[in-house]
Amino acid sequence: MKPTPHNLFMSALYGGRKGARPPAGNPTSIACRELMKACGAGFPEAHLNPRAMADLALAGHELAGFDTVMPEYSVHQESAALGCEVDWGNETRMPDARTTPHADFSDVVVPESILDKPSLRVVLDALSILRREVGGQAAIIGKVMGPWTLAYHVAGTQNFLLRLGLGEADRIHRMLRQLMPVTIRFANAQLKAGADAVVLADHATGSLVGPYHYRDFLLPIHREITARVGGPMILHVCGNCLDRLELFAESGVDAYHFEWQVDARAAVEKIGHRISLIGNVNNTRTLLQGTPEDVYGQARYAIAAGVHIIGPECAIPLTTPLANIRAIAAAVREGY
Amino acid sequence: MNETIGNIRECIIEGGHREIEQLVRAACRSGLPPDRVVEDGLIAAMDVVGEKFGAGEIFVPEMLVSAMTMTLALNVLKPLLAGHAGAPKGTVLMATVRGDLHDIGKNLVIMMLEGAGFRVIDLGVDMDPERLAAEVKERRPEVLGLSALLTTTVPEMERVIEALRAQGLRNRVRVMVGGAAVDAAFAQKIGADGYGRDAAQAVALVRRFVTP
Repeated sequence: MKPTPHNLFMSALYGGRKGARPPAGNPTSIACRELMKACGAGFPEAHLNPRAMADLALAGHELAGFDTVMPEYSVHQESAALGCEVDWGNETRMPDARTTPHADFSDVVVPESILDKPSLRVVLDALSILRREVGGQAAIIGKVMGPWTLAYHVAGTQNFLLRLGLGEADRIHRMLRQLMPVTIRFANAQLKAGADAVVLADHATGSLVGPYHYRDFLLPIHREITARVGGPMILHVCGNCLDRLELFAESGVDAYHFEWQVDARAAVEKIGHRISLIGNVNNTRTLLQGTPEDVYGQARYAIAAGVHIIGPECAIPLTTPLANIRAIAAAVREGY
Repeated sequence: MNETIGNIRECIIEGGHREIEQLVRAACRSGLPPDRVVEDGLIAAMDVVGEKFGAGEIFVPEMLVSAMTMTLALNVLKPLLAGHAGAPKGTVLMATVRGDLHDIGKNLVIMMLEGAGFRVIDLGVDMDPERLAAEVKERRPEVLGLSALLTTTVPEMERVIEALRAQGLRNRVRVMVGGAAVDAAFAQKIGADGYGRDAAQAVALVRRFVTP
């Protein structure tokens, strides 16, 4: 295998041949203020303008040394297209949805033209730019929100979880099924636009909901999504998900992107033979507050544990020092 | 334990929101003092709910229903408590930090603290450090509770503590932090007074902070 960043990442994603070193990958954002300053593309432009979006993703590859480019920094591209009022933030704050248009669990009617909505079009255009500029060289990662996350956005998280607790299963199932086509269509469009793999971010988060919620409500939906999306998918679910890793492995995804709260060895032991694992350098204590040596140490621990692709656990804080992000790239370059 | 109070406790633990008001009214009619219903029924129930959550037996959806059930019970009892309960045990200001709109954790902590007899002022979400410092200055709470879910917003917690220091308020208030992206080591590093892993631990912290 030619040891290019693209090949190292894709081979690791499929659990294939190991090259000379493990790849560094970021299924979620590694945008920080230093990186924005260094490449001249920052927030909020990088959420709204395809050139700025692509430039910031390229900086993760060219300046931070990652083997991937991932151009979606917010979780609100789809919710904006579904009618939520989104505040796109600035260089010190991430975007957030300010309204919940389906708090009453009214029917979600997905517009036929949803892929032409500006907040989705910008991602597709950025992926096409990246394909033209680094296709085949770096691995290009797209990202879609799953129906569970989209339900948080359109109905409100607490409202959605309360309805779940109150046993309103029919409402929950109906909303998830109405939102699922958004995930499938956007993922397939991203693959056609140039993505090598797509992240499925769906926040059935550890501590927030139980493994039984995932099994009863979301697993069948994830199986349908992975069956209908024509390319590799990486599941991202935050929190300590040790109690549901086996369920994730049954969802049809090719990899799971996990947090530091799950010990790397335990994760590898449980499901590392079934799907690939990506992660799990701690954001708050290590990447934000630690030294490059701390980051290096944690990345090497993950490599030794058998994690297939090394990266931060989740979207990093915007004030993360660039030197700490680079320490992940340095750790993988020492090989296995 | 009195059977009526035991039933109220179980009802809250099980999230019986349809039955709770009737049970509490019946308990009061039978002559049980409302403050005892609060202590032995509501607070005891939410302590159990907190333990079950900490042990991973239940999750936020179930906890939200129990908290809602407890609030319904508390609303029945509040008008009756005036003659029984003393002054609130202490005042707590609660908010999520700037940039974080995720407020379920904060809301659960508030419900549990109110159930435990504290006066809670909910400042809402997305609060600037300077604004929080101004609120502490004006309202003089014993405790300031800060919540952040996102790893992208946790740095704001340190800025709040800096803002309190800058205004000479740091020694006037205990700061507790919590949320999915926070842990005890982080709390210690930024100079917070305590960290609560979940709502039950937050209540235990506040009890410790305001004990004379």
